[in-house]
Amino acid sequence: MRRSSTAIVGVGSAAVLVAGWLAGSARFTTDVPVAPATQLPIAETTPPPTDAGTSPLPTPTEEAPVVVACNGQIVETRYGSVQVQVVLTDGAITDAIALTLTDSSETSVEVSARAAPILREEVLAAQSAVVGNVTGATYTTQAYLSSVQSALDAAGFTG
Amino acid sequence: MIRTNHVGVDSVAHVAEPARRFLWRQRRADTLEGLSWFSFAVVLALFLADGGWTYFTNIRDLPTGTGIVAGLIGSNLLLVLLLLAARLPVVDRAIGYDLALAAHRRLGKPVLYLILAHLMLLLIGYGLALGRDPVAQAITMITTMPDLPQAFIALTILVLVVLTSLVIVRHKLPYLGWYGVHLLTYAAVLLALPHQFGQGELFAVGTWARWYWLTLYVGTLAAVLVYRFLIPLARNLRHQLRVAEVRAEAPGVVSVVMTGHHLDRLAAHGGQFFGWRFWSPGLHLEAHPYSLSEAPNGQSLRITVRQLGDGSHRLLSVRPGARVFFEGPYGLFTAAARTTGHTVLIGAGIGITPIRALLEDIDTPSGGLTVILRGDDEEHLYLRREVEDICGRIGARLEVLVGLPPHQGRTWLPSAEFAAGQTISTLAPDIPDVDLFICGPKPWAELVMRDARAAGVPRHRIHAERFDW
Repeated sequence: MRRSSTAIVGVGSAAVLVAGWLAGSARFTTDVPVAPATQLPIAETTPPPTDAGTSPLPTPTEEAPVVVACNGQIVETRYGSVQVQVVLTDGAITDAIALTLTDSSETSVEVSARAAPILREEVLAAQSAVVGNVTGATYTTQAYLSSVQSALDAAGFTG
Repeated sequence: MIRTNHVGVDSVAHVAEPARRFLWRQRRADTLEGLSWFSFAVVLALFLADGGWTYFTNIRDLPTGTGIVAGLIGSNLLLVLLLLAARLPVVDRAIGYDLALAAHRRLGKPVLYLILAHLMLLLIGYGLALGRDPVAQAITMITTMPDLPQAFIALTILVLVVLTSLVIVRHKLPYLGWYGVHLLTYAAVLLALPHQFGQGELFAVGTWARWYWLTLYVGTLAAVLVYRFLIPLARNLRHQLRVAEVRAEAPGVVSVVMTGHHLDRLAAHGGQFFGWRFWSPGLHLEAHPYSLSEAPNGQSLRITVRQLGDGSHRLLSVRPGARVFFEGPYGLFTAAARTTGHTVLIGAGIGITPIRALLEDIDTPSGGLTVILRGDDEEHLYLRREVEDICGRIGARLEVLVGLPPHQGRTWLPSAEFAAGQTISTLAPDIPDVDLFICGPKPWAELVMRDARAAGVPRHRIHAERFDW
């Protein structure tokens, strides 16, 4: 190719690459919360909270345990969205239920299906959303823990 | 003075047209090459726009990210490779079919390596994510994921195609086997498509990348279908070529004259070649590239062939009336490739035959025209009489060089001329301001090219017909 043609192709290619990079970084630098975390009233065991999400935890009574379920934020990743529901019993994290997991392909379904139980165990053991990464499932891990943290925040959980 | 002026003006007018054509062709070649390179940037940009850069922000996702990029580059390269062999008229007119095929051959191995890397890296990457070793991951993918078994078959075919292409270079595989395996490439491309559009996240429904790649694939396959199958079919139905005469020119050399319908409408020129398939016992399965040995005259086409590979020795047995299936015309080895007013044609042995056809199309006389024929002995100067007649008619210089090359010294000249200190400049006085057309055995042609380059002929004015496929 002549030098002028090479230059045109070089500049054009660089422009396209930069445009692609900018478009990509705008989409994925931050996790975009789609729905806010919500605290769900559990009718059978607790009186409905008066001001969901902001009121302090109901005082535990001796007769029945106070169970609070809280949906975390929906966190978007490049493989699909992740949302976790956290269950607190008498102020302790007793369950984490994955409501939505990455589903962009068969592989990402498989990856997150493997990571979610491991993350659940770690969150229960640590009583916190600050736990280690699951190898090879970085996106699922980050989104999962971020959703758990938002649920804990909404429930006023302080650890 | 007046006469000189007149000649000057005339030759300028004569030069301007080829020079303009050359610039135009160079621009077209640059555009095609530039677009090919640009397509790789577009592919990478689509990957980046999808957030692909995040794969490279931590070490664990690195194999997956690299594997995806390898697959993207490999697929794009495969499409370029298919287009190079698709007989697109735009490619043939810009760079010539022989150069396109040479590029096609060079790309085969890189494509295979990239697709293999794509597989290996994704097996490692997904294996890491799922806690399996790559082999277990491969088995899981084949057995549980839709579209993946076809993708593995496609890769196996690609391996076979590249392997057989390497073998054919060593002439260990019959042409037919190589051709059959080569046709399987299209099957491989089609088999790999579902996993790209079904499993690949990058081509997910509703993305730009999906539309871009769909367009590329549909465009490429349509181009192959139209230019490799439909247009040749239509041309054959229209022209209905049949063998009119088979004539022995010299021991082992045979001319085949073919006639058909509407041959005046077949846009072929002297110096071009066709793929020929003779509908005769033992021959019809093989297509052979032979150049015309006579410029098309609207009534008949003629080729002159020397006994070489599997098919050519059976040409003598072809009977008049036999059907001929052809593909073409192809090639830039034509009068239209000239960029100046002066022309030198050099042919050796059977390579004289395209020179003979090209000679008829050179409309020069305001510039110089020199024809140089070379043969180890008189018998190897095929079609010499015809060349002499044409040269006499149009007033071209003719140099006939007969004799074996010297034992020492690498030269394209016979020993007598070499010893006398002859070079291309002494034989063709217009050198270096000429367009030089060379046709002959490859090592010989390379020696001519070296001599011409040393004499100052610019590279773009050296036109060589390659027979090495």
